[in-house]
Amino acid sequence: MRKVQIIGPKNYLDECVRALHAAAVVHIETGAAGPQGREFLTRLPMEKEKLGERAFLDKAAERLRNLISLLNPPETYRPVRVGNEEIRKLLDDIAPVEEKVRVLHARLDELLDESSTVNRYERLLKGFAPIVSRLGGLKNFDIVGLTIEKTREDVTRLLDAEVANITEGAYQIYVRELDESTIGIVLTYPREFESKVRYLLTGKAISEVKLPDEYAELPLISALKRMGRRKAELPALIREVERESGDISWRWYGTLQGLSRAVDDAIDEIGVLSYASQSRFAFVIEGWVPVSGFEGLKERFAALFGEKVLIRVLDIEEREMDLVPVCIKNPGILRPFEVFLGALPAPRYGSVDPTIYVAVFFPAFWGLIVADIGYGLVILLVSLYLKRRFRDKATLRDLASVLVISSLPAIAFGFLFGEFFGDLGERLGILHPVILDRIKALKTLMVLTVGIGIGHVLLGIVIGAVNRMMRGHAREAAGKAFYFISVVSFLAVMGIVFGYLPKGLFTPGLAVLAASFIALTVIEGVLGPLEFIKALGNIISYMRLMAVGTASVVMALVANRIGSLSDNLVVGVIVAGLLHALNLLLSVLSPSIQSMRLQYVEFFSKFYEGGGRKYSPFRKR
Amino acid sequence: MEKGLIAIAAALAIGIPALATAWAQSKIGAAGGGALAERPELSGTVIILVAIPETMVLLGFVVAYLIIS
Repeated sequence: MRKVQIIGPKNYLDECVRALHAAAVVHIETGAAGPQGREFLTRLPMEKEKLGERAFLDKAAERLRNLISLLNPPETYRPVRVGNEEIRKLLDDIAPVEEKVRVLHARLDELLDESSTVNRYERLLKGFAPIVSRLGGLKNFDIVGLTIEKTREDVTRLLDAEVANITEGAYQIYVRELDESTIGIVLTYPREFESKVRYLLTGKAISEVKLPDEYAELPLISALKRMGRRKAELPALIREVERESGDISWRWYGTLQGLSRAVDDAIDEIGVLSYASQSRFAFVIEGWVPVSGFEGLKERFAALFGEKVLIRVLDIEEREMDLVPVCIKNPGILRPFEVFLGALPAPRYGSVDPTIYVAVFFPAFWGLIVADIGYGLVILLVSLYLKRRFRDKATLRDLASVLVISSLPAIAFGFLFGEFFGDLGERLGILHPVILDRIKALKTLMVLTVGIGIGHVLLGIVIGAVNRMMRGHAREAAGKAFYFISVVSFLAVMGIVFGYLPKGLFTPGLAVLAASFIALTVIEGVLGPLEFIKALGNIISYMRLMAVGTASVVMALVANRIGSLSDNLVVGVIVAGLLHALNLLLSVLSPSIQSMRLQYVEFFSKFYEGGGRKYSPFRKR
Repeated sequence: MEKGLIAIAAALAIGIPALATAWAQSKIGAAGGGALAERPELSGTVIILVAIPETMVLLGFVVAYLIIS
């Protein structure tokens, strides 16, 4: 990374900012103004005209965001390229579209609200409609709809008696079950008794059917009739509004997206001005450029401005090392694995980018856990499909790519362990374990996974030591070296105790362990011994590769065994298939989490240094 | 009788750390969920924190295996 200072006459500032935007390689840094011998530089004040422009653009961006959120994106669209000079004209052009979209959206909201209201009253409609339509012809009669809980069914009889008393027998009551917990009652009586009947209903705390606001003015019978009619009409009306909105989206979505990006770019260009400083006649912009992009930037500026604008390379001082942005660049095949770094703070400038190690070890560990030809093939095909399906969504596409790569070792290990949907290959007589059977060789697998752990953890420590040495941090490098020696010598002593190494090495081994442990404690302080103990725990942690893998293979065996219990072949295949599908889903989730954890906790903790700043160049969206 | 005791010992060796891991993860998971709601960028740290107690159950598994083998 190079620290650069771009200096030019003030009247070139706008043009220069546009050139930087197009070059898309400079990570612009705040303020060159300030102390340290730069008293002649002051922060560039924002001109009134620019402030006005910024306010206008902010409003336009908000307006566009709202408008875009009201439209459903069409299946395919391409954001139209919009130049700065076209923004105002296009904003005027879209005004009628905006109005139309707002009207349609409000109409759609209204219709959906009404539809949901009508659906809520559907139960009542269905229950009351036949009775109410029969009573429709009655004049001078009041019709009241009531609902009561089924547990209070006795109220119906009381109500019947009371209303008979009030109306002197001139009434009718219809009781009908609306659903398993509610009873609907329709009561009709001469209008002259209205006040007395209503008083009775209030006293008995029986709830009258409450109609929604838009129907509240209508008598029950008309309201229910109208609801029935609207229920039939609404779906077609909703479809019509959605069709109109879809047409607008198809015609305008790409333009709106392009315009929104152009507005955001224009806002960015004004925003950058606040990072610039000025002397009496010149402007100064500071930033960071990757070494690979520096020459291109210089050539671009030379072609545009000749010698009017100067790009100076500044020395990076020691105290600035933590501020240098980090640009992570990996070859295409490794790039999907960068997704794992997204969950961590960016690595510090000059420290190790662990992507390549993750790209090697994540698929290997994942494959060792899944280790099944059948599962590997299914995951390979599904992830290839997902990679295609989500080609526009970077994170999902990267995760699918990681699974594509990881499924290959799963197939390879499946071949070595003789697994095809568990023991199905063996049952069919087409596959046998080549090196070991995971169910029978638990002890071998434990030793193998601990061995992998030793290798992986020690590799992490070596990477940490080498990196610190290359950066000139001798003390830290020495600490890592003694850390390495103490872990290795401890493992050697253990090997001697359990008879794997010659007994004659015991005393020298113990001496090396003691010496390195003391040196580690002297260099790292109290954290040294803690790190040492942690490393031993980390190594044992790799046994999860065996444990989770064994759990997965046992699930697969159970699926086959349960499937084979059925006398009917089709039923057996379906049952086994369902269990395998469940296991397959777990086989994607669990190994991913376990394998990721081994990278994050056990491996990265030996060398990874977070706290870096991500390189984010000033570029168009 | 002796076989039964060995089996019980192995079951305890893995069962108790499994419960301890579950308890620790429930606490860390709940706190992690809260932290993620505020700062989604902490997802990596939260995964690490939730995964740390798993080592207990693995150690339990190893001891259980040593008891029965």
